[in-house]
Amino acid sequence: MNRLHTALRGAAALGLAIAAIGVYAQTPPAAVGYVKTVTGEAWVTTAGQRVRAEPGTAVLMGSQLKTLSQASLGVTFQDNTVMSFGPDTVATVDEYLYAPAQGQLQLGASLLKGTLNYVSGVIAKLKPEAVQVKTPTGIIGVRGTQFVAKVEDSQ
Amino acid sequence: MIAFNTPSRRVKPLLPLALAVSFLVGCAGPQSYVALLTSPDGSLGKVVVQGQRGEQLLTRAQQGALLDGSKPPFDVSDEQLQRDFGAAMRARPALPEQFLLYFETGGAELTPESQALLQRIVERAKARPTVDMSVIGHSDTQGAADANEALALTRANAIAGQLRTLGLGNALVAIESHGERNLLVPTPDETAEPRNRRVEVTLR
Repeated sequence: MNRLHTALRGAAALGLAIAAIGVYAQTPPAAVGYVKTVTGEAWVTTAGQRVRAEPGTAVLMGSQLKTLSQASLGVTFQDNTVMSFGPDTVATVDEYLYAPAQGQLQLGASLLKGTLNYVSGVIAKLKPEAVQVKTPTGIIGVRGTQFVAKVEDSQ
Repeated sequence: MIAFNTPSRRVKPLLPLALAVSFLVGCAGPQSYVALLTSPDGSLGKVVVQGQRGEQLLTRAQQGALLDGSKPPFDVSDEQLQRDFGAAMRARPALPEQFLLYFETGGAELTPESQALLQRIVERAKARPTVDMSVIGHSDTQGAADANEALALTRANAIAGQLRTLGLGNALVAIESHGERNLLVPTPDETAEPRNRRVEVTLR
């Protein structure tokens, strides 16, 4: 009886796990923002998949954003944070959590080279310490504002 | 560039020149830095830089700091900002716009004023080159929390449906319910409050 019970429980758990995987596979991970403006050649790379950026291209947690020379790119995030980038820029979206009703707020990005214009959104208003932009030599913290940052290529 | 093509014995005399050039480039402006700007809404916040070589706090508009934190803050001219960030600033998307729609008590029927606002939202959405929307439903605290969660979702769905019908069928829409958990006007439980019975539509 006990063994049957255990076996049934195991089967149920396996079934749940398969169902969960099924759901995960069918639902693409949620976009945390969308490309709104592009000039020239820019790319969004997410989980190894590289797509040419155009208005409407989804940006996810972990996405790398890249502009070539003479290019620029603008992205609006779910919490209304706006980031735009000048030419020869590489940036990544490292952390993004936006569930204000649950108090879950986090925005971490990296500017590896190039230029950024940042306008803060709801995350910076509700939880300023949750916003960080990392660069190779220092970390930028934000208290509800607009800023610009430039990282010179180390080469 | 020329140095790369020069035979190695001629590199040496060029070294002082290279140093002079890098010094001049250095004088043209700070290399890796951040500058605080006034927000589009006119407010001014703060920026903190935690660098490998120090920490700096920026509190004035057009004040800059090196990203390694090594020097005290300095002023950044309009020309410098334009030279370094002109392209990034021109690429800035239109800022998001938010609208609040209010409901009659207990259901998904809009107040007459809010019904009239729907058409305006559609026009503003169509004015954007590309738009994604969030539609978040809220309730007041009258009634059970579960029922309010469901009611707020019904409201959000009703608004998303109307916006689709009015011509936003192709827009990306994220629909959510915050039930009675996110009050615009704080009230005790079991309080009818018209300003809390709302749907927030954000155009991005």
